Amino acid sequence: MVANVSPPQAVTRARSPQLTLNQRRYLAAALLLAPVILLRLFTTLYPFLQTIVLSFHEYNPAFTPRTYVGLENFEKIAADIVVKSSIEFTLIFVFGSTFFQLFFGVMVASLLNSRLRIPNFIRTINLIPWAIPMVVAAVGWRWMFDGNYGWIVDLLRRIGLQINWLTDPASARVAILIVAIWKSTPFVAVSILAGLQGVPEELYEAAKVDGANAWQSFWGITLPLIMPLMVTIGMFMLVWQLAVFDLPYTMTAGGPGFATSVLAYQVQQKVVTLNYGYASAISVIMFLIVGLIGALGLAAFRRVQVSM
Amino acid sequence: MSEQMSRRNFLKSSAAAAALAAAPKMRGPWVINRRRQNTVVLRIQAFAHEAIQAVLPPFQESTGLTVQLDTGPSSGVEHLTEATTAYAAGDSPWDVVSDSDEGAPVEARAGWLEPLDGVIPQETWDDFPQGMRDAFPVWYGYDGAMYRVPHEFAVGYYFYRKDLIGEAPKTWEEVIEKGLEVTDSANNVWATADGLTKGALMFVYLAYLTSQTGGDIFAMDDGLANAARLLYEMINTYKIMPQDVINMNYDQQNELYMDDKVMFMRQWPFFQSVAEGNAAWYSPDKVAIALPPAGPMGGGSWWGGWGFTIPKLAPNMDGAKALIAYLTSNEVAPQLAAGQSWFVMPRTSILNAMAGTGNPIVDAMGMYADAGVIRPRPFHPRAAEAQIAVEDAISLYITKQATLQEALQTGKDLLAALE
Repeated sequence: MVANVSPPQAVTRARSPQLTLNQRRYLAAALLLAPVILLRLFTTLYPFLQTIVLSFHEYNPAFTPRTYVGLENFEKIAADIVVKSSIEFTLIFVFGSTFFQLFFGVMVASLLNSRLRIPNFIRTINLIPWAIPMVVAAVGWRWMFDGNYGWIVDLLRRIGLQINWLTDPASARVAILIVAIWKSTPFVAVSILAGLQGVPEELYEAAKVDGANAWQSFWGITLPLIMPLMVTIGMFMLVWQLAVFDLPYTMTAGGPGFATSVLAYQVQQKVVTLNYGYASAISVIMFLIVGLIGALGLAAFRRVQVSM
Repeated sequence: MSEQMSRRNFLKSSAAAAALAAAPKMRGPWVINRRRQNTVVLRIQAFAHEAIQAVLPPFQESTGLTVQLDTGPSSGVEHLTEATTAYAAGDSPWDVVSDSDEGAPVEARAGWLEPLDGVIPQETWDDFPQGMRDAFPVWYGYDGAMYRVPHEFAVGYYFYRKDLIGEAPKTWEEVIEKGLEVTDSANNVWATADGLTKGALMFVYLAYLTSQTGGDIFAMDDGLANAARLLYEMINTYKIMPQDVINMNYDQQNELYMDDKVMFMRQWPFFQSVAEGNAAWYSPDKVAIALPPAGPMGGGSWWGGWGFTIPKLAPNMDGAKALIAYLTSNEVAPQLAAGQSWFVMPRTSILNAMAGTGNPIVDAMGMYADAGVIRPRPFHPRAAEAQIAVEDAISLYITKQATLQEALQTGKDLLAALE
């Protein structure tokens, strides 16, 4: 006969699911982090997904409901000369300004890193353009390029050059590039300066012993050693400047015509006129361009690392 | 008996307490309850607050309501963007709103505004001249109901330097002829100028010229083509208008005029106050107003303006209705006009009250009305987008990036995409 005996209390507790100390720690950590993660997802992932969803819809909040239109918004972009022109200038702006920012950045950084006795305040002055808010800088430059009151125009006129900076399509593009280069070169220079200071002095001494001049040292030692840093900064500047809005908005409002219109400006134009579906489709195109440039940048970075 | 609380129990009870404390405050974002009884919020541009505040005491005393003023943007498109996010979310922070031509027609069609037919007494509607009332069904009403009451009457006036050129050119031909005489580009002196920077300022000027050609700007027709051609010729062929106008705003335009660099120009009525504010420079001869120059279809200048609306979700609907009726009444409208030129309109009550005061804008308003040159603002149901489309297209021609025919076709394509 088998006795009907209840298991002891301790055995029951042992059979119930118990978490180890480590598991409990992970659980507590997850619970504590959950609000932040949820907030982050809500403010980044949700808008991102919503933008993608909206890009396939015709949606004006004043005239609901939204209508699914498939790829119609993207087809419209393909035929929209304003958006196509904006894509063109966005790419010109991003690649043009990044190239010259790196070019002048290396020059300025080399100067600051040279053995010349450069006072500290010069190094500080170098950073001033970067510290000025973009809108403030753009308004200032807009006045400097003004055909009636601008000193740049006046100065050039005195030497016989008549340039309609902000009213001629090509000149307006150049003017925007000049301001972008002026504004961000100090940041690039300071970043590259950090890289230059990490180049071992012995390499230059060895090169000098081998008879290399300054130019050869720069091409043979400095540039290869700072190249990974330049690729990283270049990639950062490319992606960062793809979202440029404040500069063309303040200086030219995308004009003359739409010569200086950029993608972000077009997104803003569509949003303020409540064309949310189309604005989302342009945003998706922007995202794809950012992704493509990011991928190219990563590939370039790996290539530089491998060849080092 | 005291019992020590374990850490687990402490956390459990703390979480439960926090949840209980938060529960009454946690409502879904779709539940918005702003109902208020004793306050009415009026959203209007900051520069109008002083004039509004001056007329409020009798209203507040008689109704027991407190009116709060909230500052709205001076751009109609910006107001539409801001209001849309609130209205579409089922909310309105405001009871009465100063609303724009770009915003109100869209909001009325979206069902976001309260009909005002029974709110505004007939005597108020009758106080407006027939010319304004003709535009009501399009710009202030929708589907047979009224949703907005005008509080502004903005006409582009033709200012000229009586002290320097004696008389303003009366026709387009004279504009060119006299323009060539007075322009001295080497010294930055121009016959005319206008703020044409992007953001619909070029649209404003093109619509002004098109009102003189009898064209329909949103049809991209011959009337617009003539207007665009004149603008192109003034800038590029005859060079009587500086090329910088393409990137110029109204402040820059006004500065140029008050710097004695411009002989005649179209400008909104606010320039009168700007000029008078420049006491060291101002004299009536420097800011004289003439009838607009006649184009192929005679003189013309379009009018538009801001007006009061009540959002359908106004937190204090009764208070909003009382306030809008009060502010637009035949008694209060002249007081507002006396306090701020922005409120000057050709309403009978205002014209009677301001007759003989020598107010240049009131006089000009009468002159323009008598000459029959005031035209209604060109209408498009998606005004904000359509204005940008016209501006984008025609600016291609003005800046020599396309021929006129290409620009017109571009405009047609851009406008077709809005349908």
